[in-house]
This record gives sequence, C-alpha cells and structure tokens, in this order.
Amino acid sequence: MNIRRLRCATAALALLAAVPAMAEDLVIGLRAGPDSIDPHWSTLGSQAEALRHIYDTLVDVDDKLQLKPGLAVSWEPVDDTTWEFKLREGVKFHDGTDFTAEDVKFSIERIPVVTGPMPMTLYTKYVDSVEVVDDYTLRIKTKGIAPALPNDFTRLFVVPSETGMEAGNEEFNSGEKAIGTGPFTFVSWEPKGDLVLEKFDGWWGGDVAWDNVTRKEIPDDAARVAAMRSGEVDLINYVPASDYLAMQNDADLETFVSDSVYILNVQPSQAEPLPQKVKVNGEEIDENPLKDARVRKALDLAINREVLVNVVLEGLGTPANQLMPEGFFGYTDKIGAKEYDIEQAKALLAEAGYPDGFEIDFTCTNNRVPGDAVVCEALAQMWSRLGLKVNAQALNGTVFFPAAARKEYSMAMSAWGTLTGEAAYTYGAMIRTPDADKGFGNFNRTDYSNAEFDKVFDEGAQTLDADKRRALYEEASFIAMDDRALIPTVILQTVWAAEDGTLSFTPRVDQETRAYEITPAQ
Amino acid sequence: MLGYLVQRLAQAVIVVFAMSIIVFVGVYAIGNPIDVLIDPGATQEIRAKLIAQYGLDQPLWRQYLTFLGNVVHGDMGTSMVYNIPVVDLVFSRLPATLELVFVSVCIATFIGIPAGLYAGYRPDSVAAKAIMALSVLGFSVPTFWIGMLLIMTFAVNLGILPSGGRGDVGSFLGIPTSLATADGWSHVIMPALNLSLFKMGLMIRLTRAGMVEAMRTDYVRFARAQGLTDRQIVFSHVLRNISIPIVTVFGLELGSTLAFAVVTESVFTWPGVGKLIIDSILQLDRPVMVTYLVLVVILFVLINLTVDLIYARLDPRVRLKGGA
Repeated sequence: MNIRRLRCATAALALLAAVPAMAEDLVIGLRAGPDSIDPHWSTLGSQAEALRHIYDTLVDVDDKLQLKPGLAVSWEPVDDTTWEFKLREGVKFHDGTDFTAEDVKFSIERIPVVTGPMPMTLYTKYVDSVEVVDDYTLRIKTKGIAPALPNDFTRLFVVPSETGMEAGNEEFNSGEKAIGTGPFTFVSWEPKGDLVLEKFDGWWGGDVAWDNVTRKEIPDDAARVAAMRSGEVDLINYVPASDYLAMQNDADLETFVSDSVYILNVQPSQAEPLPQKVKVNGEEIDENPLKDARVRKALDLAINREVLVNVVLEGLGTPANQLMPEGFFGYTDKIGAKEYDIEQAKALLAEAGYPDGFEIDFTCTNNRVPGDAVVCEALAQMWSRLGLKVNAQALNGTVFFPAAARKEYSMAMSAWGTLTGEAAYTYGAMIRTPDADKGFGNFNRTDYSNAEFDKVFDEGAQTLDADKRRALYEEASFIAMDDRALIPTVILQTVWAAEDGTLSFTPRVDQETRAYEITPAQ
Repeated sequence: MLGYLVQRLAQAVIVVFAMSIIVFVGVYAIGNPIDVLIDPGATQEIRAKLIAQYGLDQPLWRQYLTFLGNVVHGDMGTSMVYNIPVVDLVFSRLPATLELVFVSVCIATFIGIPAGLYAGYRPDSVAAKAIMALSVLGFSVPTFWIGMLLIMTFAVNLGILPSGGRGDVGSFLGIPTSLATADGWSHVIMPALNLSLFKMGLMIRLTRAGMVEAMRTDYVRFARAQGLTDRQIVFSHVLRNISIPIVTVFGLELGSTLAFAVVTESVFTWPGVGKLIIDSILQLDRPVMVTYLVLVVILFVLINLTVDLIYARLDPRVRLKGGA
C-alpha cells in the first residue's frame, strides 16, 4: 500500500471514527460486477464472484475447480436417487442467527420463484424434493440418477429461511435482506458501481486480511489499467494483452497469470444442406464437406497452435487438445498434444474429394472474450494455406448468439468454459445428440450426432460411482475429440495486476477475484 | 404561441410512437434476448419456459401491443438484467450524466464564446490564430484519446486528480449531486473538460465566423460612426445578432451530449446513462433500450422546442411567423 493511498484510507477512516486505526482496506477494479444482490437472480459468473463475498455456497471449489467443502462438510449418495449432505455446525448468519438445514431447503425452493433470464434453476434441475433430517443433515431426492448434483451445488448460495419467499430484488439491493454466512457483510451497492463490503468477524472460514473491501466496476480496459497505475485501486483483473507486455517490463508492477476455463472452439456444422453453402470453384455445392471426418481432421491439422498462442495472443494462452483444461473431471490423457502438419492435412482434404479446397464462411464473436476476433482471423489465414478460401466474419455477441441459436452458421467459433469443472456440463450440452427430455444437447449448434459417444456418455451420466464415471467420461471425451466433433484451439489466460510487492494472490482458473483469498504481501 | 406549442407537442407524440416501433422492430430483428443472456448449461425446457415467461414467443405485433398496454398503465417494464423497473434505473443514472453535461456545457460556453469573439475581433493576431488551432484540435482528435491523455497526465503522472468514478455525492436542494462536494468536483472536472472540447471548438468557430461577418456590416459601421465604443457594439448588438446559429447548435449539441456521452463516461467510469444504454444494447436488454430511446426522443423534442422559443425571444421575425 503506497503512502498516498494509506493517507487517503486513514483520512476516510478517521471520518468513520468507529473503525480502529490499523484497518487494512482493499480496493479492487473489476471488468464486471453483480447485476443484483439477490444471489438467486442470475447465473452470470461476475454475479457469483461478487456475491460469494456475502453468501456461502453449499459446496465450494478450489482454484482448479475441484470440489471442496463449503457450508456442507461432506456429501454422498444414499441410494440411486438420494444424496445426503452433512452440514457445517456452528455457522452464523450476519444477523446472528444459526445456519441450519432449513436455510438450505429454503434457498433451493426459493430459486424457481425469483430467478431471471439467466436461470439458476439449471443448478436445481435434478432436485425433486428436499428433506431436512436434522439441523445438520439434508437429503435431496433427485429426478433420476444425478451424479453431478454436488457440482451443481457449487453455485447454490444459502440465505436464511427468515428471508421469506416474498422478499425481492429491492430488499436485497437495499441491504435489508442481504444476509449471508460469507466472509463479508454488505454495506452498499449501486448497479454498475461500487460494491462496498465490511469484514464479518464471525466467519467460519477463519480470519480475512481486510477490514473493508470495495469492488469497483470499471468495464473499460484502459480506464481500469489507469485506475491501478494511479493507485486508486490495489488490484485489477482482465489486464488487456497490450498492457500486459508493457507491465512485464515495469518493475513497479506485478502481474498474475492463470489459465482460464475458457477455450475457443471451432464448431463445424453437420447440417445437410449447410445454412451457408460451401463453394467449389465458385459454384455452390449441396453436400456438406464438414460431414466428412477427414475434412474436419484436415482443418484441425492445419491449425498451428503455437503461433496462435505466441504470436496472435501475445503469449496469453495455452494450446488446447480437448474441450476442457487438464485436471478437470473427464479430461483424458489419451489425446496427446495436437500436431501441426499441413502436408497431411492437404492429403486428407484431397482424399475426401476436395483437392482444390473450397470456399466457406466462418463466423465468430469479437467481444465475448479477449482475443476471439484475432484468433478467428488467424485461423482463416491458416486454413488458406490448406487451399481453402475462408470468409471470416467477427460479430458482436449480441448478433452472434441469437443467430447461432437459429443455426445460421456453417462454421463458427466461440468460447466455452467448463464452469462446473467436469465433463458432463460441456459434452452433455455441446456434443450429445439433442434430447429435450433428458436435457442434453441444448447447446449442440452443429447437429453433431454419434451413437457410440451417446452410449458411453449416457452410461456415465447414470453412474454414481465417481471412479467409474470418470473413466466413462474420459472415454467419451476421447471419442468426441478423435472424431473432431468440435475443434478446440487455445485455452485463454487471464491476467491480474497490482503494484509490485503489495499483495499475495493465487489466480484461479474460474477467473474469480476473491478478496478473502488475497492477503497483503509479507 | 399556444397553437404553435400544441402543434409541436402533437408532432412529438407521433415521433415518439414511430421511434418505439422502429426500436421494437430493430431489436426483434436481431433476435431473442434469451439467447444472449441464457447460461449455456440451461436445458431446452428451461429455455422454452423462459421465452414463454417473457412473452418472447408471441408475434411481434402482440409483443408491441402488450408493451403499449403496459405503458398506458404507467409501466415501462423491468430490466431483464437488473430486475429493476426501467424508469427507476434510467433516472437513478440521469443525475450523473446531467451534472457532467452541465459542467461541460458551461466550460464550452464560457470559454468558447469569449475566445471566439476575440478571434473574430482581432482575426490576424497571434492569440486568435492559437485559439483557432486549438479549436481544430478539439474537433479532430478523438475524445477517448484525449481522455486517456488527461488521465495519464493528471491522474497517473501528477496524481492530482482521480482517474475515474463520481466521488462523494452531496445534496443540493434535495438533488443528489457530486457538484455539492469538493471531492465530487475533483472527479467531474476532467471528464467534463474532455466532453466539452468538441463543443468548445464548435462554439469558437461559430462565434468567430459570425463576428467576422458582423463587423463588416453596415449597422456596425453606423454604430461606430455614432461614436459607440467597440465594447458596446460587440456586446449589445453583434452578440445578439450572431446568437441564433449559436443557440441552434448549442441545443443540438446539448441533446446529443446528454444522450450519447458514452465515450467519456466509459473512459472515466462515469456512472451515467450513456454507459447504461451501451451495456443494455450489448445484452439486448429490450425494456431498457426501448424506454431509453423513447426518452431520448422526448428529450430532443423538448430541447428543440426550447431552442425555438429562445429564437422567438432573440428575433422578433420568428415570433411573427410562428405565432400563427
């Protein structure tokens, strides 16, 4: 903490008078903040990240997205359709009331009543009923076999049952009902403005380093960097690649880099006919070359991932060989690093009947994640070396996503993050043949369908034994990637920055900036 | 005068109607907001339920009629992202934008007009040439770039002004405003200056052009012959005669600044409405987009009306014609 900031902080504290003079404050500049203080309103990552400071979730995740105890200390299936959760004892809400199983039951039941267009119900979709066994034991009856229920509950924020079903957004935003068991208590918030928090002394997770935390929302990249450089904030997230290079050469600043969960995937459509038809020698053809696995493999082989990472993304990425980062539940070791082999790619393309290549439209987003537009253009160039003519078009997400949902693109690329840390979330949504009854394939924009994959995946989804399920998901991952159902390109990285030697902080793959996991540098 | 007012207000209502239809059709053409907002993990069932809940499965005309029906009952809708009534949301951010625009317009007027007068009065002096060069800079250099430059200079290097945000908000006549506190002023001054540069350039050039032209006219010569001092001539005759174009441009600029101070608000993290509308567009938050754009139309209509009334005050000929 530099002198000027210390002086400002002291002055502010002197005004507050009640706070002891040794207080430590933390001000963070973030690209996005919450949309509401109601923890059951939206599933947005930035929302969960902010509200985690006030409320706790039933199950928590570590910095690699592996499950760890939260308000529940343990969980296990009792039978095929029942999960039992043992709750932590001695936990207090900010208003002093005790945390019990009733509060969890209430929170689960509140979700469908209050959730908005980014529905939290997706985390409770397997819940059939909730049974309170005693104050610290909870049984959840599930609709069918639900092995991923604990993963879903990593976003289950718990509010006291006294909150009442009628409490709405207003009561939460004003702070009246903003009561959780989390490390900080709510002080104030305004939409797109600052979220001000104060340490909660009775937190079960132990002592946190900061008495006061202010999370400032600064969406403009340059403004966020300027706020950090001028000492107005102590830490910022999402440092843009251009500033990252300069910061590395600046001894006064420290950067923290981590892989994120976000991977840019190419999505070749299997539709027949293609929504945007492919042209061979200037003539539109009716067949879909992307249906041929050899063509998809050729596209894959022609991607030079080293160049994408080191040149296009300025080093802020890692080559991806499947749809999830290493270490996630269902990640398979059977796929080695992707190779770049343009000759083999050309041979495959010729074998598939396109020796002279073809012309294809390629659409992607340009504002969803850092680097999406540049990777898109780079891919088009790489494929042109293969003999294809690729019309790359980078669009705003507002235009891209509704059109992608209408399946208007022959070949698209967008980022996907395995937010629950396990394969079912990703493979079930994007690769599994769509099945509305089972809730699978809801994000399958490519019409990909592979009976062998479906069989293995479905078996995994019906297996409660974690080891067996992991093996099945790994096999499913292998089948889908060997078939190039989608073509992963690069894992994006996230950068945080702070003044050198001020903070100690371990970056997380889910990109969350958790104030209670940050400490002043020793 | 009254008939004129009624006519103008009737026009306004038609414009607002037309605008709401255009916005509705435009947003409908982009696609379903649920597809932008929804979490990728949501099942088909959840998606279908949501689309029905927000009435997005209805045909366009029915959605529009529902919207109109709600408006008649005083309900402009609730933001899909913030779950706050749109009117509350917009009005909670409006004071921030208003104070920013107010300060920037004052800077532009109180520096721009005197500078322009001087540049027109002594067009060949070095100072006049310097003023003109600065005015060109004001138009031609992008706002965000000057904004960043100001931040780098005053916040990062000199450390005398904050780099962004609104600062302490005090209360003046019951209205929450940063202009009531010293900290608030330190926050507002840089973005306001940034926002005023373009308008200042415009003011300088308009005033100078009018001044140069007016000084050659007969009435100035006669006034001189009468023995009036230059000060009397400029302030009581010339300034009044060249005000009409200035007032027009001032009105237009005021409207567009109020509605679209987006760039400055982004660079300086100013929590105003400009930022709100951009965020809403990016998330297809339809109720906010429609309401905001309709409000902007109303704003423009009101500003133009005021400008016309000021004309009438300045130039009696307008009053005679418009009085029908």
